[in-house]
Amino acid sequence: MTRAVIVGAGETGGTAAATLRDEGFEDEIVLFGAETRPPYERPPLSKEYLRGEQPLERGYLRPDAWWGEQEIEVRFGTKVERVDPRAREVVVEGGERIPFDLALIATGSRNRRLPSPGIDLSGVYGLRSADDATAIRDAASQASHAVLVGMGFIGAEVAASLRHLGLDVTVVEFTATPLERVLGPELGRVLEGLHRDHGVEMFFSDSAERFEGDGRFEALVTTQGRRIEGDFAIVGVGVEPVTDVVADTDVEVENGILVDGALRTNVPGVFAAGDVARHDHPVFGRIRVEHFDNAVKMGEAVGRSMLGRLEVFDDPHWFWSDQYDANIQMAGFATQWDRVVIRGDIEQRTFAAFLLDDGVLRSTFSMNWPRDVRRSMPLIGAQARPDAAQLADPDVDLRTLASLR
Amino acid sequence: MAEWVRVGETGEIADGEVNSYSVADRAVAVANVGGTLYAFDDVCTHQQCSLSEGDLDDTVIECPCHGSQFDVMTGEVVQGPAADPVDTFDVREEAGELQVSVE
Repeated sequence: MTRAVIVGAGETGGTAAATLRDEGFEDEIVLFGAETRPPYERPPLSKEYLRGEQPLERGYLRPDAWWGEQEIEVRFGTKVERVDPRAREVVVEGGERIPFDLALIATGSRNRRLPSPGIDLSGVYGLRSADDATAIRDAASQASHAVLVGMGFIGAEVAASLRHLGLDVTVVEFTATPLERVLGPELGRVLEGLHRDHGVEMFFSDSAERFEGDGRFEALVTTQGRRIEGDFAIVGVGVEPVTDVVADTDVEVENGILVDGALRTNVPGVFAAGDVARHDHPVFGRIRVEHFDNAVKMGEAVGRSMLGRLEVFDDPHWFWSDQYDANIQMAGFATQWDRVVIRGDIEQRTFAAFLLDDGVLRSTFSMNWPRDVRRSMPLIGAQARPDAAQLADPDVDLRTLASLR
Repeated sequence: MAEWVRVGETGEIADGEVNSYSVADRAVAVANVGGTLYAFDDVCTHQQCSLSEGDLDDTVIECPCHGSQFDVMTGEVVQGPAADPVDTFDVREEAGELQVSVE
């Protein structure tokens, strides 16, 4: 009898467990989750669930009863303290030790914590779990003004949802435009315009100095000296991988758990996937990705890997973000680029933007121009050098360019 | 008896293509897979995007908004985030007409 232990019951861990079963693994599967809920999708937490439009259960990866039917032993609400690769045991909170033959670490990421004074005041929230989203929803129902720190995708989605609920929203963002690091200033300003048109007040190149309040949040004071009063605050300034369970073990960690193309750590039989895994991507090199689609696809891939069906995880990476009535998508990965080619109308916010570095398509971003992002993914995967004029021409089907390479 | 509604002409959907039609207040997508037509609800069960705006790969249609995939023959979900299948309908070419029944 072989026992596979999965540490972390988010989208990745849950998907991996399901994949093991779907692909014919008939032995023991133990799925540990720190949260008390079965695996659920997180994208609605900043959008449909936050706005009160759909129940959490709608995002459950599988119906509640499914795990038992599949004879997957679920240990929800159970914190794993340590994965011991030498003893080949998982150590559970309280000291229980569970031996394993195969282990998957899918512990995900946690919100980065600001060192600012007052961060622990009540009324200062972060958004990661369903409980966090519920708390923000409750706070919003009795509030008229929210103060957001950080305008990454989470901050931008939360801003949109809170505006939808009728709250005034003020955002303070450290960089000069939203998502400057991934989008650059030109595209960042398009996103800024979208939020400005929907009445969000934004201050850029500024950050949180301290959170003030008498027992409860009352105002944010910024490093630029602004004092922004509000009913509550939400901090969304990025995440860090949760690698604690393998601290001081043989498992290699460097901004995430290092895994090869098949999602294996340096220790045989120990795998990592999802937000926590820094994988070796054939196109992008070593990267760690923190999006829904990757969490699911990696969960499937690592399940197959655990069964010995090794394949290189080469997904070009893709995600969406819905803000107001805008469908936003992005594929690929680029830290630098020297050319942005626009297809569509950037002024009207219906366009795709192709980010090229030395002629190679590295990433595609779109707003209300959905189809071409996914069509561009084979080009990104092939490190293709598409002709800029053809990229810019909406009448050129990107799928025909893929065959040109 | 199925009630057939004329939505277009015979042969107007090329192989590998998907068109959208309005039938009895419903948006219905019709796909041509290797010469066989399949009709299904043109509203994704995830966030109500139009599936006919997405790409068809063999019998799988992909939602352009969030990547959900459905089998056009059965309506079943091939890949999430959608959890629920889309309805499928009868479709035929008859007397020079493309006809759909949403009964």
